[in-house]
Amino acid sequence: MKNLTVTVVSIFLVVMAILPHFLDARWQTVAVTFLIFSVVALSQDIVLGKAGMFNMGQAMFFGMGAYITAILNYHYDWPILATIPVAIIVPVLFGILLAAPIVHLRGDYLLVVTIGFNIVFVQVLINNLGGVTGGPNGIFGIDPMRLLGFELSSQLAIYYFAFIVLLLTLGIMFNLEKSKVGRALHYLREDPLAAESIGINTRLYKIFAFGLGAGLAGLAGTVFATQYSAVSPEAFEFIQSVLFFSIVLVGGSSIPGVILGVFVMFVVPEIFREFATWRFFVFGFAMIIMMILRPRGIWPATFGKIPKFLIKDTKHGA
Amino acid sequence: MAHSELILTNVTKRFGGLTAVDALSMTVAPGQIYGVIGPNGAGKTTVFNCITGIYKSEEGSVNWRGEEIRGLTPYQIVDRGIVRTFQTIRLFSQMSVAENVMSGRHIKSSQRWWHGICPTPGSRRDEKEHWTKVGELLEFFNLEEFAATPTASLPYGHQRRVEMARALAVDPTLLILDEPAAGLNDRETAELVETIFSIREKGITVLLIEHDMELVMKVTDYLTVINFGKKIAEGTPEEVQKNPLVIEAYLGSEDDDDE
Ligand SMILES: Nc1ncnc2c1ncn2[C@@H]1O[C@H](COP(=O)(O)OP(=O)(O)OP(=O)(O)O)[C@@H](O)[C@H]1O
Ligand SMILES: [Mg+2]
Repeated sequence: MKNLTVTVVSIFLVVMAILPHFLDARWQTVAVTFLIFSVVALSQDIVLGKAGMFNMGQAMFFGMGAYITAILNYHYDWPILATIPVAIIVPVLFGILLAAPIVHLRGDYLLVVTIGFNIVFVQVLINNLGGVTGGPNGIFGIDPMRLLGFELSSQLAIYYFAFIVLLLTLGIMFNLEKSKVGRALHYLREDPLAAESIGINTRLYKIFAFGLGAGLAGLAGTVFATQYSAVSPEAFEFIQSVLFFSIVLVGGSSIPGVILGVFVMFVVPEIFREFATWRFFVFGFAMIIMMILRPRGIWPATFGKIPKFLIKDTKHGA
Repeated sequence: MAHSELILTNVTKRFGGLTAVDALSMTVAPGQIYGVIGPNGAGKTTVFNCITGIYKSEEGSVNWRGEEIRGLTPYQIVDRGIVRTFQTIRLFSQMSVAENVMSGRHIKSSQRWWHGICPTPGSRRDEKEHWTKVGELLEFFNLEEFAATPTASLPYGHQRRVEMARALAVDPTLLILDEPAAGLNDRETAELVETIFSIREKGITVLLIEHDMELVMKVTDYLTVINFGKKIAEGTPEEVQKNPLVIEAYLGSEDDDDE
């Protein structure tokens, strides 16, 4: 299973690296969206899949990154590149500050609180707080990214920007699997009391998961803002959070599962354009059927990695 | 062996109207195998929970090597070298045996949070070092062939061993075992006795709850007997065995020594 995951992800990445050259402009746009949403869904996977916390507000961190880039560029003339660190750090700080008082809450309560955060966030945007968010219409006319004197305004350039962000995200997720913090998240997800009793400060690691997830979502937000040269509140509504949440669960919180979930949710409707309005209908049914037939998701995660030298007898292997 | 490791003084824990542990005092010396026995519902597990920080006792003091640890969180107490196993096994059931044992290395690892995002040669070395230690523990507990097996699919006796291996991975000073023989067959129980002795050999103090009287008499150096949350006797196994209060407490509840 583990080798299969590596193979599948490798093939996927090779395909994605050359894909845009075979696509027309419309499909390139779809592909960029797919990449961006994959990053957001994977960031949600860190919080929900790895650490097992019911966070229903991931679209907020995504939107925060997008709006930070938009505001700094549009109002303060920052180059896009310079907005990136801020679009990561501010969501991280919000992730930590918002998570700190709530991570001890039981799953269902956490769910409600994070929904609340997301709703408040969108209201702040709509009501043009501080006069910088542009109200219900959002902000139009964000500059393209400039790098070494080149203007990266084509969909192709943005595609590769998004692709690099996805690679970075996947890199972090693979590194997590082979580290103390990554394992700590799995342990606390499996049994918080046992984790505490073996020396793990579960609260700290829960907050870490929130912070990391928020940072990656924020970075995806920057890409999103440059793709459309615009941001508006409805892209970050709580319903988007619900989608990311569902994608992780339906996907099985493994990397291939989550990416497959994003594909089914955001790309398949484009293929069947005439049915696009049916997207939620189809996805809703798919969710229901999946959770009944495969409660652990399309491609269930296998946890962690153990080094090869420990595996003595593979016939007992997982 | 100069002074005591763990001193409980008048520890009291209440659940609503029920006083589960009632002004209990006991003293564990370094290198001892110390037993806590008593009928079902006597409050044994609750005492352990008060020591390990899962509960905070309302009154009394829990002193560990001169430091008051009552009120610390479980992970802070582990940090001081006290680790426990659970009466009802609590493993990370979807994860492999090796990963379960690795969780015990958590506090020993020098990795920081950013190493999870961006590893360094140092963090890779740290990782390798602790996995090697896990390998040694798997060997000690004869679990090598199950390294990659999810613990949920192991037989009960093996799961008990995994839990013990995980606790020992912490390199504890005090190991607390809550009914380690529960659910084991005779052969496994005999192995457990050997294991407990070899753990003591490593210089680890052992505090255990056990229902299996034969095992208690065989392994413990010293015993405290509690009933209805109160200490009714203490002493060496021989002394305790002869104590009329103990005999009475046990005769009164002879029929329910499972769980
Ligand atoms: N969390 C809790 N809430 C309320 N009552 C509790 C709680 N934990 C334990 N008790 C009660 O405290 C008393 C002591 O329980 P405890 O589990 O410590 O007994 P024990 O000696 O370990 O018994 P056993 O041999 O069955 O494991 C029991 O009456 C039990 O019902
Ligand atoms: Mg008990």
